[in-house]
Amino acid sequence: MSGAGSTHAAERRLSQLVTVLAFALPVIFVLVPLAIFLVYSFFGVDQGTIVYAPTLGNYVRFFTDPIFLPVFWNTIVLCVSVAVICILLAYPAAYFLTTLKGRWRYALLMLLLVPLLMSYVIKIYAIRSILGLNGFLNKALVALGVLDQPSTLFVFNMNAILLTLSLLLIPFAILPIFLSLERIPQTLLRASDDLGASGLQTFLRITLPLSLPGVASAASFVFVLAIGDFLTPQMVGGISGFTFGRILYSQFGTAYNWPFGAALSVALAIVVIAAILMGERFGRSRGTSV
Amino acid sequence: MSALPRPSTIFLAAITTLVAVLLYSPLFVPIVSSFFIISHGNVDWSSPTLSTYVALAGNHDILAALRTTLIVGVCTVVLSVISGTLLALYYHGRRSGRSILQFIVFLPFLMPPIISGLALLIFFREIGLERSLLTVVIGHTVFVLAIVYRTVLMRLQSMSRTLVEASYDLGASGWQTFWRIILPNLSSAMVGGAILAFALSFDETMITILVTGTQSTLPVRLWAMMRLGFSPDINALVALILMFTVLLCVLAARFLIPKQMATERN
Repeated sequence: MSGAGSTHAAERRLSQLVTVLAFALPVIFVLVPLAIFLVYSFFGVDQGTIVYAPTLGNYVRFFTDPIFLPVFWNTIVLCVSVAVICILLAYPAAYFLTTLKGRWRYALLMLLLVPLLMSYVIKIYAIRSILGLNGFLNKALVALGVLDQPSTLFVFNMNAILLTLSLLLIPFAILPIFLSLERIPQTLLRASDDLGASGLQTFLRITLPLSLPGVASAASFVFVLAIGDFLTPQMVGGISGFTFGRILYSQFGTAYNWPFGAALSVALAIVVIAAILMGERFGRSRGTSV
Repeated sequence: MSALPRPSTIFLAAITTLVAVLLYSPLFVPIVSSFFIISHGNVDWSSPTLSTYVALAGNHDILAALRTTLIVGVCTVVLSVISGTLLALYYHGRRSGRSILQFIVFLPFLMPPIISGLALLIFFREIGLERSLLTVVIGHTVFVLAIVYRTVLMRLQSMSRTLVEASYDLGASGWQTFWRIILPNLSSAMVGGAILAFALSFDETMITILVTGTQSTLPVRLWAMMRLGFSPDINALVALILMFTVLLCVLAARFLIPKQMATERN
């Protein structure tokens, strides 16, 4: 009996511990760091040391300095373009996958997702070598007669960042689009066919509208991943390819202004949250339950 | 969806092929270069060689980074599987506060890594924790926790409630029910989550760059080397890592997909 009693007591103590941990872990390691980060954005820096006095100076500087807002805007435009390119390539591929039967469908899906597991840094390096002056892209374009001589158009500028990010992030667009296409009930397509619609009509009136939630999720995924990346711009952007992520990162390195970096992060976080909420809002599949 | 006419199918297949080529070309470059010598963008196909692999075995710098990565990966897996399972068990079936706590757990995964990384960097500085492998492990755990949590929670939700009830009816204590019924049912989800966590930790670069001390993990080491250009033995390493990740991927699919598909069919 006493053995059972102590087991119960031990169980109770354990469950109390679990309760404490279940609240403490996320709060200590996620919420507290983010809160401190936010507070930091209201501090200042004087000659390399952080001044712990509340100020709006960082935000004022972000909005008034002629450098930051244009870079911020250009980066948003860049990342939207990346999302558009990814979707234009991923949608037909995802659609093609859903036309395949059974095992092939998932095997090919796997094949298109596996590159995600490959080292990010190595991929950036490889893509840079493909885009470079001696790279495969230039060789192919010269061989095809598109270019007279190898061009530096594809590396160390904004184009390079655009191409590299698109290449890296395509799988993130394929998956949500594939899932939304797969969820479309086959009966709807057959009904449309029975009612005399052409393949194109069925696609435009049934498939496309029902897959838009997947497209919205894909766009928000790709956008968020692209805008937070500072490795790719740093590696392939050269001097002219300046993105917000790079400026942000430099505040913690060469510029050494943590509070200002924190303020820039807040601006980034707001855009990211907006993108996630939009993806969430339009990403809900409404029509499939019909 | 076979309603579409032939030309469109060909068009779709062509785009899919293009996408596959685009996705695999960056992987192809290092693998080819691990077996052949490349100079000025021209591959010398005539003389395949394994010299890069031999050189790799003598590159202590890279091997040390690889070992660090593995240590970090294993620690991250252990910590994230324990805490992810714990959180899933605790939040499962609970209404109050669950969605907000769940949201907090997901935040580091949803937010750009630069934000999570910088927040942790400042946090570690404020609590006086020196940047080291410990901070890297904490950073990785915080990042992958959401994945383990979600994997285990999904299994918990698909698990029949009657199993647990039957166990209690048959007189088992809460402890016995946990060890004999719940944990065995969760084990494959935990293994799947562990593999995903390891894969994410293995390649995590952005958070690591921000919170690492003097010892760097493989991606950070590669990142630092990349500015100067890689020595050919890196290609050998890349080829090996690719094989390893494909293997991990197949394993993860084994542990995760069959059950999920089975539940979808129900």
